[in-house]
Amino acid sequence: MSAYSADPRLSRFDPLERVIFYDDFDEGIRGWSELIGNYEHTLDSMLPEYSDMRPPMLSNLTMWDTGTAGSMEGDYALKVASRARMGALATSIKRVTFRRRGQIQLECYFTFKPEASELRLSVNDVRAFGVLFDLQDGMNPEYRWMPHLRYHNAQGDEMINRWQMKSATRAFSKIGDSGETVSHYHLGPEHWEYIDAPVQTLAYNEIATKMNWHYLRINVDLAERRFLGFQCNDLIYDGDPLKYVSIPAMPNLNCMLNTLFWVETNRDKRAFLYVDSVLLSGEF
Amino acid sequence: MSVRRSYTAIVERNVLWDRDFATEPYEAAWASEAIFFVRALEVSPEFSGIARVQISADGIHWVDEGATMSLPTAKDAVTFCKVAHFGGWLRLYGELDDGASITVLVSLALKE
Repeated sequence: MSAYSADPRLSRFDPLERVIFYDDFDEGIRGWSELIGNYEHTLDSMLPEYSDMRPPMLSNLTMWDTGTAGSMEGDYALKVASRARMGALATSIKRVTFRRRGQIQLECYFTFKPEASELRLSVNDVRAFGVLFDLQDGMNPEYRWMPHLRYHNAQGDEMINRWQMKSATRAFSKIGDSGETVSHYHLGPEHWEYIDAPVQTLAYNEIATKMNWHYLRINVDLAERRFLGFQCNDLIYDGDPLKYVSIPAMPNLNCMLNTLFWVETNRDKRAFLYVDSVLLSGEF
Repeated sequence: MSVRRSYTAIVERNVLWDRDFATEPYEAAWASEAIFFVRALEVSPEFSGIARVQISADGIHWVDEGATMSLPTAKDAVTFCKVAHFGGWLRLYGELDDGASITVLVSLALKE
């Protein structure tokens, strides 16, 4: 028995050798912040897509009809909530750095739902949610690279239920007038590619106020710059390495290891992503 | 020694209010006290306006909590409003007169 399996909070995870962070949101926000775009002099200089990515919150999953559910393990989960505007997107990011270019693994339990503002099924009201890494090599960096994993739940009235990756992003824009700041938006609806994995219908559970928690694992190799695969519940993808966005290294991002969750709404209705808990482990 | 948890959410940033307005619902059941800060990034001439704190059991249906605040009347001015014993959700709500507008940054400072 490993030390992890002896701890009831950790026994539901399969971490690599060392835990980089383990966040149980009963203990607070733990470094998960709002994402914002780069700017100079004025907030108006920001790329508009980055202007309103919403602050995360600590939710105890209280519903209008059944009261409080609590999180999977305790009372509180990290909640990311979009505005009630079709296509709106909300994020939360945690920023650390790595100390060795080995493999890393993100694991979490999550659930997602639309706001329960209508008494109907609402199964296709959340468009998508996802997780991405924003990475850059350390010493003598060559690349900044960004593995994205998106669950495309629905588009319009159509259920999709497939996993996606992204290998291209928009061009960089200059921000302000100093020549020091640039920005690019990589969460737009373009350039998503379906991963060669089966359709996966995640349990929705009939109405908007019932949440089932799902397991997600993502594996990345920092040394070889490979996006190795993922697991969601009983779907295990271990085929060819997945595609990712790659751009030349930037001046002040060495050893960057950022993790970001996001959710997108498919209607003029808020979409919610809840995470409890999240564990990043690695070889180092 | 344990310290009291606290968290500040920027519930609106660089947002224009020029008629009815409401900040996005914010869940804060873990907190026992809160302060809404409103900073004016821009204001229309001779601006004045009031915001009301609202609470909710579910984040969908809202009711006035009773606390109100005057909105700032000059660029970079800040006003605030304190609330406690508010349950699970908080927001600011208000209605502005015709022609009145303000661009705001709204911070919600929460503490256990």
